[in-house]
Amino acid sequence: MEKNNIIDISKSAARLIEKRSMREYEIYSASSVSNDIEIFDSEVESLSYADEKGIGIRVFNDKAVGYSYTNMLDERSIEQCIDSAILNSNITHKDEYNHLPQDKDFCYSSHDFDKSILTDDSFFKYGVEDKILIAKDLESRAKKIDKRITAIDTLIYSDSYSNVSIINSDGFEDSYMTTSSFIYLNVISKQDKDTSTGDYFWAARSPKDLLIEEVAQKAARRSLSLLGAKKIKSQVLDVILENFVSSQFLGVIASVLSADSVQKNKSLFKDKIGEKIFTLDLDIIDDGTMSEGFASRPFDAEGVPKGKTDVFHKGVLKTYLYDTYTARKHRTKSTGNAVRASYKSTPSVGISNFYLSPSETDLASLIKSIDKGFFVTDIIGLHSGANPISGDISVGAKGIYIDNGELTYPIKEVTIATDILTFCAKIEKVASDIKFVPGSGYLGSPSILVKEISVSGI
Amino acid sequence: MIEKKKAESILNKLMSTGGSFSEIFLQKKVSGSLKLDDGKIENSTNGYDMGAGLRLFFKDSTFYAYVDSLDFDKLMNAAKVLSAAVDGSSIDRSLDLRSLSNDFRASVLINPSDVEPSIKRDMLFDVDKICRDYSSAIIQLTSSLSYSQEDIFIANSEGIYTEEHLVKSILSISVIASKGANVKTGYKSMAKTCGFEMFDNRAYEKPAIEASKIAVKMLDAVNAPSGQLPVVIGPAFGGVIFHEACGHGLEADAIIKDASVYKDKIGKKIANKIVNAVDDSSMPSHFGSYKFDGEAYPSAKNVLIKDGILLNYIFDYKSAKKLKGCQTGNGRRNSYRDIPYPRMSNTYIDVGNHDPAGIIKSVNKGIYAKEFAGGQVDPATGDFVFGISEGYLIENGTITFPIKGATLIGNGPEILHKIEAIGNDLDFAPGFCGKNGQSITNEVGQPTILVSNITVGGTSL
Repeated sequence: MEKNNIIDISKSAARLIEKRSMREYEIYSASSVSNDIEIFDSEVESLSYADEKGIGIRVFNDKAVGYSYTNMLDERSIEQCIDSAILNSNITHKDEYNHLPQDKDFCYSSHDFDKSILTDDSFFKYGVEDKILIAKDLESRAKKIDKRITAIDTLIYSDSYSNVSIINSDGFEDSYMTTSSFIYLNVISKQDKDTSTGDYFWAARSPKDLLIEEVAQKAARRSLSLLGAKKIKSQVLDVILENFVSSQFLGVIASVLSADSVQKNKSLFKDKIGEKIFTLDLDIIDDGTMSEGFASRPFDAEGVPKGKTDVFHKGVLKTYLYDTYTARKHRTKSTGNAVRASYKSTPSVGISNFYLSPSETDLASLIKSIDKGFFVTDIIGLHSGANPISGDISVGAKGIYIDNGELTYPIKEVTIATDILTFCAKIEKVASDIKFVPGSGYLGSPSILVKEISVSGI
Repeated sequence: MIEKKKAESILNKLMSTGGSFSEIFLQKKVSGSLKLDDGKIENSTNGYDMGAGLRLFFKDSTFYAYVDSLDFDKLMNAAKVLSAAVDGSSIDRSLDLRSLSNDFRASVLINPSDVEPSIKRDMLFDVDKICRDYSSAIIQLTSSLSYSQEDIFIANSEGIYTEEHLVKSILSISVIASKGANVKTGYKSMAKTCGFEMFDNRAYEKPAIEASKIAVKMLDAVNAPSGQLPVVIGPAFGGVIFHEACGHGLEADAIIKDASVYKDKIGKKIANKIVNAVDDSSMPSHFGSYKFDGEAYPSAKNVLIKDGILLNYIFDYKSAKKLKGCQTGNGRRNSYRDIPYPRMSNTYIDVGNHDPAGIIKSVNKGIYAKEFAGGQVDPATGDFVFGISEGYLIENGTITFPIKGATLIGNGPEILHKIEAIGNDLDFAPGFCGKNGQSITNEVGQPTILVSNITVGGTSL
């Protein structure tokens, strides 16, 4: 690959930092090469190549932190970046907990993490032409499924291989590489005067594992099944959230499990360790090491080993998620949950592979168990409709009405509303069909049955 | 950032295998942010970004490459990779770049990077104090101050090149208030395309008090109603309704893909005749403004809807070519890493002639939705939502109780016909809009409006 690899760049930056008599620092560097392909009407709509690299420098200056990043990696630019970081450390808060992580801060000891699970060598065997063929194949499969499918709203293939390294002044030095391929399809179907959209995606370490047919079928089904949808009367209904939807709800819950939110009075789970939050005996786990997890890493965004954390066990809240700073503040250990969106951001607390454990019950029996209910297959507006701090949730929903244990007619333009704690208490059943959704972290949930949710319509 | 001759030779290289259009986009950006949380300056960060994006059209396909560098050899190399991906007949071209300018000048009085870090810090402490002094119910707040200063150079094979210096300043304030087990939030931001003169005369005092007021008022919120009701939507951020219900559907890439309910609607009545709507990227210092768009086309005021009739879509270069329309200066991109798409800038429902107080008085039983947490739309179906963050019940023409956060859901084309009154109090609010993985700055705006009925997603039947 490149002769200037990111560890070498970091090491030369470290020498420049030491010249400025900064004794405690950390350099996070990242590089990635990526391809994005968009297909429209059987042709390449756009094809892009990207090659990027950058470093983020964190200095601990007399217990105050300063940060700066750059993608200009010549010596003068790195010096400017270091000077900015030092300048920034002059105005930030001084705090006894502000220093680099040490072994005694680790919840999970350094382990033999098998880095090979993060990559798939076959990734590199695919040229741009091969990837275009995969994407075109998906488009033609989707269009063939049903003649009511009139257009493709979006079809994107994207992949990347990335390297991340961290070095710090305590002698930590490690790196890892990841490969990933992702394909997303959103189809439009029409019948009479009604239009409906449906999407699906697949993520894998290599293009060879993208399940194209499944993406085509699921997106098509999600779109077609909602054709002719109507509004229903406002009422309280039992609701089944399909896995795709329940994992998004799980994301809202995850956001207030960070110790940072708890310590700043921003979490409704504050002072609730040991309490039974879910009526059901369900387990929610954050696992930074699982082999098929897209958020698996040998170490977190500040070099702390990752591990498997039981956040809820049998419905009881067992722990919050910690980075080094918040762990010290709570006199506990870091669960390895420091994350960064990129080299441009300082570490903060976030999830890894975060999932609700599936049961052995299939989705069909969940549906059968309901007299009258709403099978929600898609939601819209979670970002603006869920307030994790107050706990209020109100989002747009579409799906299928359930009558007497059977899926009947499609529903659209309604909302479902609840609040986080009520929602947790009212989950009555969990299915077996876990699906993971990549985003900030890797969220997984099976479909779930929630009793008595307010549905607003006409 | 690059010599004209060198830009010309890169553009020629891109076109050497038969492409129909080529472009260089260079960007150099300095950014900074400062965050105060839990009463402490938790974070102070600076960033330096530099890079180039090269774009090439061949038939209907866009080929794009970007590099983290402005180095001529690296750009030339990327141009070779792109042109090799195209297999048209080779054509020799020679290009003569000429500069384009218009009269929009972003005037920056105080460059954010020139402001001492301690002054920025003190400003956030001042915000913190204003909020905490407002009420003892306020238990937490987060405020952050950020800015970007960027230089952009664009040149294309049509012989145009532009240079622009853009400065943006942003302050956001999130407040949490509590009473017993009840916790509510309030949010306000101020953001402009200008320097730190935006904060002259403690201009941040108003949003700080507003955010505090919202959080405290919402502590007494009752459950929001559930079902269809008349809704009075407040000025400024209320404009998010037009942004979602209509704006995204007018972006021409959605029209091309047959993924918009507004396809084939030019010249047709799509809204009540009192509705006039505009996208204007040329309003000085507004957050969605610029001198040139992301493909060197001058910013402009573009009337979208006149007296309820749809006049025009929102175009970039590619969609204008394809639909035989005219570019509207809306080809926007987040950075050199991104392909431009048709995007809104500052989009608003224009001023009407109703008295806002009279609009509220006209409602027997309904909702007054004053502030919003944002929204989302599926342009293909027109179904959209937006979340109320500050709302009230209207009973017998009077605002009574605050209501808990609730989502409003509707269908764009239906809602536009249901706008029954438009106030005389046009105002704007800044925000960020996400599409195709790119977040860009923009503004929404409107006067107070009345929508005759819309589904309110509360819990109270």
